[in-house]
Amino acid sequence: MAEEGIKAIFEPKSVLLIGTSGIKKRAGLASPEIFTLVIQNMQRFYKGKTHILDLRGKLSGAVKSFGKVPKKQDLAVLMLPPELALKNVRKLVDKGVKAIVAVAGGYNREQRERLVGAATKRGARLLGLDAGMGVLNTSNGLCATFERDIMPEQGGIALLSQSSSIGAAMLDWSRFYRAGISKFACTGDGADVDEADLINYLARDGNTKAICVYIQDVGDGRKFVESLREAVKRKPVCILKAGAVREGVRRAISRTASLAGKDEIFDAAFKQGGAIRVRDLEELFDVAKALVSQPPMRGNRVAILSNARGASILATGAIHREGLMLAKLSNKAAREITNRYSDIKAINPVNMTADAKAEHYKFTLERILGDPNVDGIMVINMLKSRLLELKDLETIAKAAKKSKEKPVVDVAVGEVDHMLVREVLKGEEIPTYALPERAARALRALYQYGQVLEKVRE
Amino acid sequence: MAARKKVVEILSSIREMGRRELLEHESKQVLAAWDIPTTRVELARDAAEAVKAARELKYPVVMKIASPDIIHKSDAGGVRVGLSSELEVREAFEEIMDSAREYKPKAKILGVTVQEYMHRAREVIVGTVQDPTFGATVMFGLGGVWVEVLKDVSFRLAPLTVVDAKEMISEIKGYPILAGIRGELEADIDAIVDILQKAGQLAQEFPEIVEMDINPIFVFDRGKGATAIDARIILKEEA
Repeated sequence: MAEEGIKAIFEPKSVLLIGTSGIKKRAGLASPEIFTLVIQNMQRFYKGKTHILDLRGKLSGAVKSFGKVPKKQDLAVLMLPPELALKNVRKLVDKGVKAIVAVAGGYNREQRERLVGAATKRGARLLGLDAGMGVLNTSNGLCATFERDIMPEQGGIALLSQSSSIGAAMLDWSRFYRAGISKFACTGDGADVDEADLINYLARDGNTKAICVYIQDVGDGRKFVESLREAVKRKPVCILKAGAVREGVRRAISRTASLAGKDEIFDAAFKQGGAIRVRDLEELFDVAKALVSQPPMRGNRVAILSNARGASILATGAIHREGLMLAKLSNKAAREITNRYSDIKAINPVNMTADAKAEHYKFTLERILGDPNVDGIMVINMLKSRLLELKDLETIAKAAKKSKEKPVVDVAVGEVDHMLVREVLKGEEIPTYALPERAARALRALYQYGQVLEKVRE
Repeated sequence: MAARKKVVEILSSIREMGRRELLEHESKQVLAAWDIPTTRVELARDAAEAVKAARELKYPVVMKIASPDIIHKSDAGGVRVGLSSELEVREAFEEIMDSAREYKPKAKILGVTVQEYMHRAREVIVGTVQDPTFGATVMFGLGGVWVEVLKDVSFRLAPLTVVDAKEMISEIKGYPILAGIRGELEADIDAIVDILQKAGQLAQEFPEIVEMDINPIFVFDRGKGATAIDARIILKEEA
């Protein structure tokens, strides 16, 4: 039932929204406004069945008592203040609910324990408490959240957040970057369901290609690492962990304890779990969009193909800083390139002249992709003061797509141009970046995941 | 299992004495029981015992003050190295006792440890802690006095695979020193791997060992092993 409970959080056949329009105060987020917003979101997006139980019975379309709610509700979204929640949780469990999302917080310790105890007694799972941003699933339209205009595009990135506000920020950025999302969940205080449970589920979820997690702390460290170890065999996991301050064990006697900061140990745990640690939300999405669309990089040798020399110099520095190196092109590839285009110097970074068009890119990129000395490629296509046009980019993306073995990332160098490029290449499955440094981070993450897979196979 | 039993014995004898910090020779007994290579050591309560121990260990020997109240043994004038005759051992015993008493008149002194002498080699530190979130965790770094300033250390959760241990070693910035610089031979990395793995197992088997420093460990050239020169084990505070 445990597994079934987690599944019911994301894939319920029917959902019961339970709240009350009869309270005035915002008691721990459980306000009538939030109740209404969740109802609106669910009615707008969710493809399954929704039932509304308003204990006050004033909302239109809502029933007033448990007796009128059909049996076999998979998921309940609990939006009652603590007292009322505790009073009604038994009835929810009796309805055969497999999972409960406790959106509201404001529970004291004793109330928290009672709620978790009552909810999980017969095997139902509880997400929360304080799982404010709730749960989203883009494939069935589940939108159990009170945030407006938050439903992201469908895609392969799963997002987990301990914090509601960072969860909201993740969804905001995913919309801005047009990064497709499979599922989202806010774990809140992790009273029952924790990150490890959700990672285990997402690892086996067919719609999820990469898992991104924001955590502040974890409860059961070993369980968390074990979930990472299993998940990374199937798909990459990126972690943004708050708090990178070195703080040793208090009252340390030994040198080791004085040096063993919490963050250093988390870092070790992520490494052993095979997760990719990122420093901020920007990097999280830069890395995630590459991981969902590109194959992992098997070695650390990168080729740069550019129509602007300055940008390729910046890119070279960035690649080295990320611990990668410039590939040395094979004689065969170099010869083929110079035979066709005598003005291109086939030395990595491969700089083409400012008049390079789609066909230059296509031919050169194909040669580099076929070069056994190259593990991954950064394509730089500046639009400013070059003869390249937006439509040329489709040709580049198509050529890149043919490569099933090696990752390709694209850099426009400039945010305005990047947004244009991104629109043109929407749906082409090539990650695009505004800066070479950001693309280099993405390549590094692809390399890290390649290394993780190598280790798993050993 | 014999190793486990031996460690249990040592730890409970420390508890019986009402302590939670093991002295160097006690910590080394634990390491030795756990098959972690360490210098042989005997506790001598008087000069005659010191001479007897030195003879058994073979000259030259090292002598160090043994007191739960003196942590920085060198500061207390409590360390003598390279003693190669009975006369030197007798003199060293008296001198160490005198300077320790002068350094800390109220210190409880158990005597002086006599230890086998090791030629200097590259120094590393291996340590363990019990992390509240992740449990037994192992640390590695270059040993000596700079470790706390440079903070050039790496961590992994126990148990460690060989790959984990090798990564820990190669991850630190000072790794080239172990790999060998300017024509130096490579240090015995496999011996460090072995110590890291065993230290991790020890911390996992005994959660009551809340902190452990094995520092320094002398690491000899490849194939020649590594030996713990000093060690410190701290037990959990009793509730």
